[in-house]
Amino acid sequence: MSSAGHPILDPTLAPPFPVAALPVLRNPQLRKNVAHAIDVIQAKRDRLVAEKTDWQALREAASGIKDEALENLAAYLEQFEERCTAAGGHVHWAGDAAEARRIILEILRQENADEVIKIKTMTSAEIQLNPFLEAAGIRTYETDLAEIILQLGNGEPSHIVVPALHVNRGQVREIFARSMGIENLSDDPQALTAAARHYLRQKFLTVPTAISGANFLIAETGAVVIVESEGNGRMCLTLPRTLITLAGIEKVLPRFADLEVMLQLLARSATGERMNPYTSLWTGVTPGDGPQNFHVVLLDNQRSPILARKTERQTLRCIRCGACMNTCPVYRQTGGHAYGSVYPGPIGAILTPQLQQLQHARSLPYASSLCGACYDVCPVKINIPEILIDLRARVTDQERETARKFSDPMYLGLRIANWIFSRARLFHLAQWTARIVLRFFTRKDGWIHSLPSVGAKWTQTRDLRGLPRETFHQWWSERERQRTRGQGGERPKEPGTREAAR
Amino acid sequence: MRASLFITCYNDTLFPETGRAVVRLLERLGVELEFHPGQTCCGQMHANTGFRPEAFSQARRFVQMYQDAETVVIPSSSCVAMIRDQYPGLFEELGDEKLRRQFAALVPRIYELSEFLIDKLGVEDVGAYFPHRVTYHASCHGLRALHLGDRPFRLLAKVGGLELAPLENLDRCCGFGGTFSVKNGDVSSAMLATKLEDVLATGAEYCTALDNSCLMHLGGGMHRQYAPMKTIHMAQILASTQQEVHG
Amino acid sequence: MSPVADSRKQVLERIRAATRGPEARGSAPATVEPPAPGYLRRGSMTAEARLALMAERLREYDAIVVECSPEGLAATIHAQLKASGRRTFVAPAGLPAEWLASEFAWRIDGNLPVDEIEGADGVVTASFCAVAESGTIVLHHGPAEGRRVITLLPDWHLCVVRAGQVVQTLPEYFDLCREQGSEGAREQGNKGADGLPALVTWISGPSATADIEMTRIKGVHGPRFLNVILVTD
Repeated sequence: MSSAGHPILDPTLAPPFPVAALPVLRNPQLRKNVAHAIDVIQAKRDRLVAEKTDWQALREAASGIKDEALENLAAYLEQFEERCTAAGGHVHWAGDAAEARRIILEILRQENADEVIKIKTMTSAEIQLNPFLEAAGIRTYETDLAEIILQLGNGEPSHIVVPALHVNRGQVREIFARSMGIENLSDDPQALTAAARHYLRQKFLTVPTAISGANFLIAETGAVVIVESEGNGRMCLTLPRTLITLAGIEKVLPRFADLEVMLQLLARSATGERMNPYTSLWTGVTPGDGPQNFHVVLLDNQRSPILARKTERQTLRCIRCGACMNTCPVYRQTGGHAYGSVYPGPIGAILTPQLQQLQHARSLPYASSLCGACYDVCPVKINIPEILIDLRARVTDQERETARKFSDPMYLGLRIANWIFSRARLFHLAQWTARIVLRFFTRKDGWIHSLPSVGAKWTQTRDLRGLPRETFHQWWSERERQRTRGQGGERPKEPGTREAAR
Repeated sequence: MRASLFITCYNDTLFPETGRAVVRLLERLGVELEFHPGQTCCGQMHANTGFRPEAFSQARRFVQMYQDAETVVIPSSSCVAMIRDQYPGLFEELGDEKLRRQFAALVPRIYELSEFLIDKLGVEDVGAYFPHRVTYHASCHGLRALHLGDRPFRLLAKVGGLELAPLENLDRCCGFGGTFSVKNGDVSSAMLATKLEDVLATGAEYCTALDNSCLMHLGGGMHRQYAPMKTIHMAQILASTQQEVHG
Repeated sequence: MSPVADSRKQVLERIRAATRGPEARGSAPATVEPPAPGYLRRGSMTAEARLALMAERLREYDAIVVECSPEGLAATIHAQLKASGRRTFVAPAGLPAEWLASEFAWRIDGNLPVDEIEGADGVVTASFCAVAESGTIVLHHGPAEGRRVITLLPDWHLCVVRAGQVVQTLPEYFDLCREQGSEGAREQGNKGADGLPALVTWISGPSATADIEMTRIKGVHGPRFLNVILVTD
């Protein structure tokens, strides 16, 4: 039992990002694993993007397709429902996570299912499906290699495309040997993969019920699309009798042909390949081929409020490629668990707080230096920095309503700073005051090595040069005074370059 | 050519020598400089930390102060990015049509320093002399918001005696990020450590950039570690001449 | 109203309110036709170059590729089957009879039980088309391509691709779908809109994973061996 039943990926229980990041920052092995993984994918991605001369046009088109889908979401979802139903599928609507879980359980009960095989779907982790089903007496079997590693090892995903990137081969060997009961298992990835293949084969051939997510829903035809590399998806989509597909409402695309854009962007962004090994599309039920009992569960779970906001709506364009976290310099240092959510990295920093209606995960919008690298690589052009800043404003506005603000030095400091910036006289007075006060902290070498309060977070690893005796504006004023006085006289000497270097 | 210098709140207080260098450099190139004494801050720190109404009041002040300026030069990419990228949203959100129009008229006249030199003055060779091994750090705002491209490199290439040491992972953030540097001080420090690995590996004597914000963070780390490198704003490199070195 | 219908109504109402409200004003206007695409739709390669690229991409992921003429197809299939050293093959019901060389054991799929498919050494199928840029083979699961399970369980897959059905870019595949409709959709009586395929499998390499330390391992689930015959017409 694992996947998102565990507090570290529950946004309502997870510690704030600065706190959650600490143990990871002190784990060199983990940081090395993360950096290695994202460097590999990024290098492959960059090469293929350079090769694709119409990459920017594809991004533009994809962004437009998703915006069109979102603007007309109700109509497209209804069209999908109609087409899927006409093709023999059953479409359900879940307002929230609890409802989605109930609907899925009811379908499983109708089938007298006591076990279910699963294709990796973060949406199911979002609604904490596995622990719910386990508690109801239904065993869940993840079939993605990474998800098996996490399920058997009681771990949590830390990346949306390579969820077990934080686990190294030695750790995988240990997990498999223990839970699969294999003696003398080597830690060679080939051997480990073969062990997983063997372990799963019987499950694929015998378990009659499967649960999947969806990469895309096609409104025009009622089709569902799943993009994968391993083939466990194809197994789960064709062998069982009953298939339940759980999909966020934002997954719908208007037309079949829209895939010509999305599929060109997804694999290159996610895994650095021109196309992933297997992509499957199916429409409702096909007599004689695949599951004859097919259900789609459409999930809202706080997506519709995101749709309502002008700046934030673009969050729902996301196609879960993971490119943003692969390029993020913050994620590089912390990995995924620090975000306390099934969605980590830059997309997690904007999606999770919103799915929580800003009641939780309020530290996530601040878990960014606003460098903008994510926006550059996002295949659907989500302006993540813009959304981060907007979410920070919304979180701050919440804080203004509470008394807690009076004990927050950052809040007080910024309010005072704003007042100071409103008049030059105040600003200059503040500069003079700061210079006097900081003199107490300035050592003989002219540098500050230690500061209290908020400043301590700076000086824990950085020195700060002491405030110069003369500000720029004071120098300028003095120069102007000398010029008007010494009209026609000697120009005052100007300081040379040497003092400029620190 | 006249230009009004917006020095930025942090340069005024912490790095006045950068301001002096900008003055020396631009006057040498024949620019007649003004300095509005009432200037304080562009509002970036507040906007980026979520204090939007406060940022708005500073933004309004800025636009009103400079609406008659022929040109405004700012030796800080992040401040220029704030003005270009966030001011429009601020004014639109707060529904001040007059201010929005004033801003729209002003924004084409605002330049970051390297933009001013190359795009407005049309010069790459500013007559500088700086006989040192230097590495250039591309700040994120300059790189991704302003799309400065190769402007800094073109300027550095013409500096006499300067040996440019290329920086690995040039486009990776140094970890400053404004208030991020203290709100997420530990992560910021981890990013600094990673960045310093690349910077120090260049073996340069100086690390330069177009933003003192990044340099304050990099330089603060270097100083703490007794690293054999110093930081210097590019304005100060460009302002250095042979005469001053020997004089 | 049942709880189920309630949720549907509520979700749709929330969505409609969200795409109508004042907050959302200023976003992209509702359109049915997407704007003219700026990306590349059609490739400019010659048929020869396209085929060469397809073969190159297939070989990059270790598929064995041979070319032949339409007249030589049956013999080429026979040679590939022989060279594999395998004996028992699954074939879709609509596979041309002359492809079923007699010296091998054939299991024709007319709803074969799963363990008979699992127990076979390989499978032979045709294909709908292929996309050269990404080395992708496309199956629409018509009578000559078969049910999805038969190209999934066996470890060895021989796939026949007609050169005339090799396109350069992915958008060209979608054009092909529109032009040619879907064999599968018609045959299976599926209600795909305008003859668009109801079942598609895009294959661009053997199953692979990089989940353990980013080391690429092939053949997790699905055939580990792919042989492709390009029929140049």
